[in-house]
Parts: sequence; structure tokens; C-alpha cells
Amino acid sequence: MTEAAVTDIRPLAAVLVSAVTVVLILASHRYPNVRESWSVLAALTKFGIIASMVPGVLDGTEYQASLGEFVFDIEFSLRADALGMVFALLASFLWIFTAFYAAGYMRGLSEHNQTRFFAAFAASLSTAVGVAFAENLLTIFVFYELLSVATYPLVAHDETEEARTAGRKYLAYTFFGGGLLVLAGTALVFAMAGTTEFGQTAADLADANTALARAAFGLLAAGFGVKAALMPAHSWLPDAMVAPTPVSGLLHAVAVVKSGVFGIARLVLEVYNPELVGELGVGIVLAIVAAVTLTVASIIALRADRLKRRLAYSTISQLSYIVLGLGLAGPAAVAGAGLENVIRGGLLHIPAHAFMKLTLFFCAGIIHVETHTDYISEMDGIGKRMPLTMAAFAVAAAGMAGIPLVAGFVSKWFILIGAVEASQSVFAVVLLISGVLNIAYFWPIVYGAFFESHDSADSKPLVEGPFGGHLADGEPVPDGGDETAHEEGHHGGPGPGGWDRVGWTGGEGSWLMLGPILAIATGAVVLGVVPFEAVFLDLIESVVQGVAA
Amino acid sequence: MTEELLPVLLIVVPILGATLPLVLGLFRERVGWAVAAGTLSVEAAVATWLGYAVYIGDQRVVHVLGGETFGRKEVTVGEFDTEGFIVGIELVADALSGLLVVLVALVALAVLAYARRAGPRRNAFYSAYLLLTGGLMGLVLTGDLFNLFVFLEIVGLMTYALVASDRSGASAVAALKYLIIGTTGASMYLVGVGYLFVRTGTLNMVDVSRVLAGEPAWVENALYSEPLVVASFGFIAVGLATKAAIFPLHTWQPDAYSESPDSVTVLISALVSTTAAYALARITWVVFSPDFFAANPRTVELLLAIAAVSVVAGSLLAAMQRRVKRVFAYSSVAQFGLIVMAVGTAVHPAAGDQATQFAVYGVVVHLIGHAVIKGGLFAAIGALNSSAGARYVREYAGLAKQRPFLSGSLAVLGFSLIGVPPAVGFVGKWYIGLAAVEAELWPLVFVVFASTLLTLLYVARLLEKLYFTPLAAETDTEPRPAVAADGGGSVSYGMVALAVLAAVLAVGLGFAGAELTDAVQPLVEAIQESSPEVHP
Amino acid sequence: MSRLVSATAGVTGTPLVTDILTNQYTYLLFALLLVIGLYMVVASSNLVKKIIGLNLFQSAIFLFFVSTAYLGESGGESGQAPIIPKKAVAYDPYASPLPQVIVLTAIVVGVALTAVGLALVIRIYGEYGTLDEETLREVRADD
Repeated sequence: MTEAAVTDIRPLAAVLVSAVTVVLILASHRYPNVRESWSVLAALTKFGIIASMVPGVLDGTEYQASLGEFVFDIEFSLRADALGMVFALLASFLWIFTAFYAAGYMRGLSEHNQTRFFAAFAASLSTAVGVAFAENLLTIFVFYELLSVATYPLVAHDETEEARTAGRKYLAYTFFGGGLLVLAGTALVFAMAGTTEFGQTAADLADANTALARAAFGLLAAGFGVKAALMPAHSWLPDAMVAPTPVSGLLHAVAVVKSGVFGIARLVLEVYNPELVGELGVGIVLAIVAAVTLTVASIIALRADRLKRRLAYSTISQLSYIVLGLGLAGPAAVAGAGLENVIRGGLLHIPAHAFMKLTLFFCAGIIHVETHTDYISEMDGIGKRMPLTMAAFAVAAAGMAGIPLVAGFVSKWFILIGAVEASQSVFAVVLLISGVLNIAYFWPIVYGAFFESHDSADSKPLVEGPFGGHLADGEPVPDGGDETAHEEGHHGGPGPGGWDRVGWTGGEGSWLMLGPILAIATGAVVLGVVPFEAVFLDLIESVVQGVAA
Repeated sequence: MTEELLPVLLIVVPILGATLPLVLGLFRERVGWAVAAGTLSVEAAVATWLGYAVYIGDQRVVHVLGGETFGRKEVTVGEFDTEGFIVGIELVADALSGLLVVLVALVALAVLAYARRAGPRRNAFYSAYLLLTGGLMGLVLTGDLFNLFVFLEIVGLMTYALVASDRSGASAVAALKYLIIGTTGASMYLVGVGYLFVRTGTLNMVDVSRVLAGEPAWVENALYSEPLVVASFGFIAVGLATKAAIFPLHTWQPDAYSESPDSVTVLISALVSTTAAYALARITWVVFSPDFFAANPRTVELLLAIAAVSVVAGSLLAAMQRRVKRVFAYSSVAQFGLIVMAVGTAVHPAAGDQATQFAVYGVVVHLIGHAVIKGGLFAAIGALNSSAGARYVREYAGLAKQRPFLSGSLAVLGFSLIGVPPAVGFVGKWYIGLAAVEAELWPLVFVVFASTLLTLLYVARLLEKLYFTPLAAETDTEPRPAVAADGGGSVSYGMVALAVLAAVLAVGLGFAGAELTDAVQPLVEAIQESSPEVHP
Repeated sequence: MSRLVSATAGVTGTPLVTDILTNQYTYLLFALLLVIGLYMVVASSNLVKKIIGLNLFQSAIFLFFVSTAYLGESGGESGQAPIIPKKAVAYDPYASPLPQVIVLTAIVVGVALTAVGLALVIRIYGEYGTLDEETLREVRADD
């Protein structure tokens, strides 16, 4: 990594843009239009700043901005390098669409406390970019914690008992992961290496006490793993779906969870390095955890009836693809083969999954706004009512399952061949099984939406027939015990005459929401058809080159 | 060398100022606040000057009371002559006490802005307020063990008086409880000092430290392993731990914090326990020095164990409280547990130079950070109480909409208390944790990092009520009393400003962590070399 | 100054118990008073008695300090008052003035504390009409 480091204000500016926006949003709380334009403006500015650094980063320049010494021997500093760029570019690019979508969503539902919502949203983005550009473990921890704080108001937004419980769980999990484990791991690394700067610690860690080096890796991986929703620390994510859908979409499928994954990427590639991870034997453990998570989460997703919940479990499973790719980097480096492919595949899945999952969540959100339908069992025939939405949904779902021509295929392909090259074929098998499961839980939605109608739907044995049967006169509870809301406050589903038929011209909902959905779905296809034309793979290539060198 | 007069001024000015409200009160009512504001402005200026001399001018400012007559003299003990023993009382402003001096002066001045609307407005209140400031200054500056006791008692006396200053029965009970436990603690300290005096023949901290180290010719070896010396450390530690409210000696503190008038709570929560913990740190580090603990590892292990228990127990008790003031009162028990833990880590035999360095940093940063955070929290709580009549956690439901600035400060301060970076609460915790890691004291590492979650327990509960519980959800809430108990009734800009200022400072100080730690570098070196004097 | 200590130390050859009882009984008294005072503070439920206990506790400490300054007959030396002529060439052992000064100061502090304590007790009595801790707790629980 002999890239030239240049002092530049832009990484800092990229973080601060949305932080300043928070103040502006709070200040203009009386004027919703002004308030929303701040969001959009900030999103565009942020993306502009970050995009302006892309050419330089591709040429091997690193932009640095330091705020001076934060604690003894550790600077509070930001650095835009290729890996950070992947995440920052992704988050800020998708924020543009989300800003529009969120405006449409929140107004469509006449939500309360919109100012707080938009302010917290901007703050979350600020910290997510901070995570991306952090130059050392402590700085990443700072933003990691702030991200938890900033997203908490979004999770608890509803102010219902359910939302409060979810918020409580969210804070407990993320502070356990962030506050306890990551901080302890950082302290251990600092004690062993005398620095926490990325790329500078591996040599010292290799010389350190093996048990301590393993412990530090374990602490950090577990800490980041909580946000990455690795099992068994995943259960906050499905609960956090109580948040408004733009939050579930951008934050709980992209920014927040990916900050955990991104942390693991930094950990495997730059705090340690793949060889060291392989030698310590921790890479394979990480890969196994990821493999178990992605299989089990897929199976649970099969049985979730609430659409957002199914998407959440799908997120858990997909995130583990990335972690699996990174975990396999260890064994691959030791085996001397497949290293580049697993890393490439793992990292590429970060943007690929983001585009696809955001599309899916946006679809779920627009369905909720327009028809107040949250449950898959009520969505039969909804393709008539929302054709464009469900088409986008189908494309993204296909990508999730790894069907070629959509983004998900490319990344999974790289992981797959990498796993085989590294003689870890068992993980390749896991990947294939999971692909089948993906189809199994997404296909019924698409099929039901387009080819069935409400009164003549096939039975859905997995959802309607819980293990062990159900009480004789009780209503079926499709998704475990927490679906009481289904009975009480529910007013979704088709009207008495079935779904209205709406044409393919966009009459199905507000363009504030429909536009972003289509744009992002297009992005997912672009990423799948011509991956080398989209900038992400170039950035990832330069990361891979750096690691391989 | 005018700087030498500054330490004296710092003590004398507020004590003389304290007489004025009483005298002027004969002619005009409610003159107290103005006098206190004037006096404390002078005090703050002097403290800043002293801070400048100590940190920018790199001086160790020493004043020996009665310096012409007394001072360091040659003393004949038996057939030996001992060079440079002190006769008279020394006031020392060095790298450690300088910071505390500035803190005390500024906090005392800032809380005054709060007290103008909130506080009891009688002249006697401001006399006590000034006396307390003078006592705190003395406690921080003195270099004499017995003099420390006197100031400890002056601080104690004034605190008892202030706690009871709203003249209610409940506060009198709280003050009496505080008085009994506090005096017992101070007396314990005095017993410890007596033991040391008997063995070393001096009360000056530096001289005691030298004799303990076996420096003068008339002691043959270091006295560290003598039972009398070990016992004296035990008594001193117990006494000061009582004053700093370490579990299980904390029982006075929740009552005192929750029953006293709001402005008094702000002041004592920010300063009183802080100075007691400072005294413990100073005596542990400089008087007894790491060599003492190397000879008696059990003592420091015991200290660490008690501190760790204090962290856990304090947090759990805080989470169980229903009154907001009591929540944060118990939280202080936990936070001072952390500080004492770092005090012990610095001198633990297993601690290398690095661990000592980080532990000292941790103590200093967390002492100051906690003072700002806790003072600000109580300011916000007090203002919420007098404006919305909310005293219990459940009464906080939906207050965020009505009081955005106070709630916002409360949230920021709460998160810095948890240790969310980059606020100062995090920096302190980071150093304390790092010191434990460097010293490889794994149980402590666990407690320090777990304390994040423990703090989250009670802070999140409050914030959830404040922001995410609609007012209507709390059907059992009785109608709120419109006016606070002490007749404040409304919120002034000063009260809100203090809370907001504390919140801004809590975050700002986080970034100034490196400056703070640079400032105490001389102290670190002194401890590492077991030197009794902290020279720049 | 180490003579302060040695002056009260045992005469060689005397059994320890005898030595304590004859020469160092003040220390024994100190310990006894200290414990009695502490016991009163903890065990008595009457607030005034608690304060008396506190006074006893402090007096014990004063006694300790004064004892250390006492130069008895035991070492064959007798302590003089600490008044030293300016041009003295050699002088007899004298009682250290420092502990006396300390005790004087501590007594003043103690008196102030007692005053504040009693003032608080009076306020409590006026408010609740009782001095008994248990009753007080019951009365306050009813509020």
C-alpha cells in the first residue's frame, strides 16, 4: 500500500455536511418543504464531495483529514481510501433516492415528529460516512457508537410500546457490540501494537501473544458482528423493522448493518491481514458462523409472513455472504489460492445487496403507504394494483437469489469460485443451498402478486401451518407470538372486490416513492450486467490489489 | 514572584467574601447573590492566573503560610540533622491541583448563574456557598495532611448547611444523615493521619512521603511494611472513600443529593465528591507512592475490589430508582468507583509505566469530565423540575416537546455519561480501561467496559420516557405541581444556559482530552519515579 | 522527633501487657472510646445520642493525639513545656507542640459540627415531633 496520502478537507466535509444539515433541519421545523429540501440538498452535496474524490482514489491517492490527537497516541482522523470509498459512495448515493422516498413516505402516512425523523436520518448518514472514512480503530469506534445513538430515535420513532421495546433492544445490542466488545478489542490491539491505525498493526499483532491476538480478533469481530446481525446476535434487526420503512431500507439494510460488515472488512484486511487471520485460525471460525447464519436466517425467512420481517431475515442471511467472503480470506490466504476472488466477491456484495435490498424495502414501504398491507398472505394479486412496484420487486428478488444479469449474481459467483479455489468447497455448497432457499422465500411473493388473486390463492403451508399445529379455535398465528398487531390494528389487504387494477403508468402511488424504486432497481441491473462499468468494482479491484500486494 | 500569593488568595478571598452578605444584609436584603458573583469572579480570575502560571509557565507554585518565619528548615531529630523539613503549612499548586483549582472556581461561578433564579435567595445561603468554595480550594491546594482534614470538615460543614438550606424536614434528615456519616468518615481519616504522624513526626505530604521511603538518616529502612503505616492507609482510604461516596459507604449521598435544593445539588454533585476523590488520589499516589503498594499488594487489591463492586452496585441501584435525582445520585457512586479503580490501577504492582500513565490520565479526565457531566445533568433535572414539576422518571413522559433545550442537554450529557465518544465521558473511560488492559488486570477490564452497558441501563430508561413516550401513555400521572418546592417556579435563561453549556463542554472536552493529559504529564513522571513532589 | 514515639514505647524487659496497662493505657482508652462512640452512632436510634456518640468518637481521637505528645517518666526523661529560649545551646526534651495544636483545631471543628448537628436535630423535631430514628422513618413513610 504505497499510495500517496494527501491532506484534504473533503473527507471531513463529507461527514460534516449532513451534521450541519441536522441543525438546519431542526431550525426549519416549521416549514416542511424547506426541511425536506435541506435533506435532498445535503444528500446531493455529500454525494458530490465523495464522488469528486473517486478519480483520485482510483489513482491510488488517499485523502486525509486529521482533527489532531484525540487520546494518547491516537489521532482523530479520517482517510478516504478505496475500501472506505466503496461504503461512503454507496451510502451517499443511495441517500439521494432515500431522501425523496422518505419525504413521500412520511407525508403519505402523515407521520408525527417528522423533524426529529429527518434530523436523525441526516445524523445517521453523517456517522455512516464517518465509519467509512475512519483512519483507525478508535475513530471507527467513535462513529460506530454515534451511529447507534443517531439511529435509536428512528427505531423508537413510533412511540408505541412495541417500538420502545425494539429501541431498547436495539440500544442494548448495539452498545453491547459497540461499547463493550469493540472498545475492549480496540484497547487490546492498542496495548499490543501501540497504534490502532489501519494497515499498521498487523506486524505487531503477528508477534504478540497468540491467545491475546485471537481474543482481540474475537472481540472486534463479535462487536462488529452484532451490527452485521451475525447469529446469535441478530435478533435486534427483525425487531427494528418497527421503524418507518425508509429507515429499514437505507439504515437497516445498508448503512447501519453494513457498518458492521465494513468493520469486519477493515478488521480482516487491515487491522490483521488475511494471512494472519488464516494462521490464527480465526478466519475459518468467522466463515462457519457466517455460513450457519446465512442458512438458518434463510430458513426462518421462509416462515415470516410480515413482508418487512421476511426482508429482515433475508438481510441477515445476505450480510453473511459478505462476512463469509471475508472469513474465507483467511484460509484462502493460507492456501495461497482464491484470496482475490473471495474478497472481491464479499466486498462487491456490499453494493450489490444494498441496491437490491433497498429496492425491496422501498417496495414494501410503498405497499404499506398505498394499501396498508404488511402481510404476504394478503398480497395475492397485488400485482394488479401495483404493477411497477411488483416488477421492481421481482427483479430485485431475482438478484437476491443469485440469478444472472442482476447484481447479486456477480458477487456470489466470485465468492463461489473463490471458495472452491481455496479448497473450502463445503462453503460453496452452503452458498448454493442458500440460493435455493432464497428462491423459496421470494418466489411465492412474486408469484402470488402476479398470478393469483385474493380469493383463489394456493395454500401456503409453511406460513399457515406452524410446527406442532395450532389451537383448535384460534386464528392461525403465522409468525410466532408477536403478531398480535395483525389482529388488532390491521386494516390492510384488498378491498371487498379484490385489488383494483391500475395501469403500468405509475398511477399506483406517489412518484416521490415510485421514482426512487425504479432508479435503484435499474442500478441493481446495471451492477449485474456491466459490473465493470459501475465504479464499485473498480474501487474493489484496487482494494484487492492492495491486499494481494 | 507574585504567583506565590495566589494559592492564599484563592482560599482567603471567598472566606472573606462570605462575611459580606451577612454584614451587608443588615442594610439591604438579597444582597447575597451580587456579593457572591463579585467574589467568585475575582476567584475565577485568580484561579485562571494560577492555572496559567502552573501549566503555561511550568511552575510548581508553593506558598508556606507564614513563609518568613517558617519554611523548610533544618530540623534536629535525635542525633540526626534532617535537611529541609517543613515548619508551617504548605499550599501547593502543581500539575494535579492546578486543574482542580480551575475546575472549582469555574463551576462555582457557573452554578451561581443557576442559583439566581433557582436557589434559596437568603444571604446566609450565599455566605455558606462562598465558604464552601473556599473550603474546596483549601482542600485542593493544601500540602498538609492535617490541614486537609480541616478543609475536609469545612467543606463538610458547609455542605450539611447547604443541603438543609431549604428548611424542609426532609432535607434536615438528609443533612443529618450526611453529617453523621461524613463526620465519621472524616474522623477515620484523622485517625489515619494520626498514625502517620506518630511514625513520621511530620504532617507535610512531601515530608511524610520521604520519611516513609526511608530517606532521612534516622529511619533505617522504608517504613512501608510497618503495620502502623498500613493501618493508616486503611483509615485514610476508608475516610476519603466515605466522602467520595464509594459503595458501601455511599448511603448518605442519594438522600443528600435528592433532598437538597436544586442549585445545591448541582454544586455538590460537581465538586464535593470530586475533591474527596482527588484527595484520595493525591495521598495514594504521592504520599504513599507505588513502592508502598509494591510492599503491600493486598491493600491495593482490596481497594480495587471495593471500587469494582461500587461500579456494579451503583449502576444497578441507579437503575432501580424512580426519582430522577436519585438515579443520578447512585450513578455517581458508580462513576467514583471507576475513578477509584483507576487510582488503584496506577499504583498496582502489576502496572508498568504505560499502565500508570493511562490510569493517571483516566483519573484526571474522568474527575473533570464527571464533574461537568453530573453538574450539567443535575442542572437540567433541576430546571425540568422547577418548570414542569417532573421529579419522577415516569413524569418525564413527553417532556422533550415542551423543553427541547433542556431535554437535548440531558440527552447529550446522558450519552456522555454512558461513554459514547467523542464526549469526555468516553475519553476518561478509555484511559481507565486501557490502563487495566496494560496492567493485565482482566476482571477490571471487564468491569470498566461493562460499565458502559450498566450506565445505559438507567440513562436509556430516562431518555426513552423523555422522547419516546407520549404523555397520554402515562395515565397514572397525577397532575403536576406547578411550583417547585423551593419557590423557584420558573426557569431562567441562566438555568437553561448552564445545562446547555455543560452539554457543549462535555463534548468539547472530549476533543481537549489530549491537552488535559499533556497538562498532567509531570504528575505521571512523579508517580513513575515515586517522587513526592510534582515538578514540571 | 522519633522520641515522641520512643518516649511512650515500652521499657525493655517489661511484659507487653503490663507495659500497655501501666505506660500506654491512654492508647487503650483511645481504642475503647473510639469503639464505644462508633457503637453509639450505629446502634442508638435517638438522634441526639447519635451526636453524642459522634463526639465521643472524636474525643477518642483527640486523646490519641495528646497521648503521642506526652513525655512520661518511663524513659527517665520528663517533658518540658515547649518554650525554648532563643539562644539555647542545649535543651531538655520537650513535649511536641504540634499535636496540641492539632487537637485544639480539631476541637473547634468538632464543636462546629455538633452545633450544626444539633440545629438539624431541632429542625427535625420541629417538623416531625420525634427524635427517634424508627419513629421518624414511620412518620416520613406516611407522608
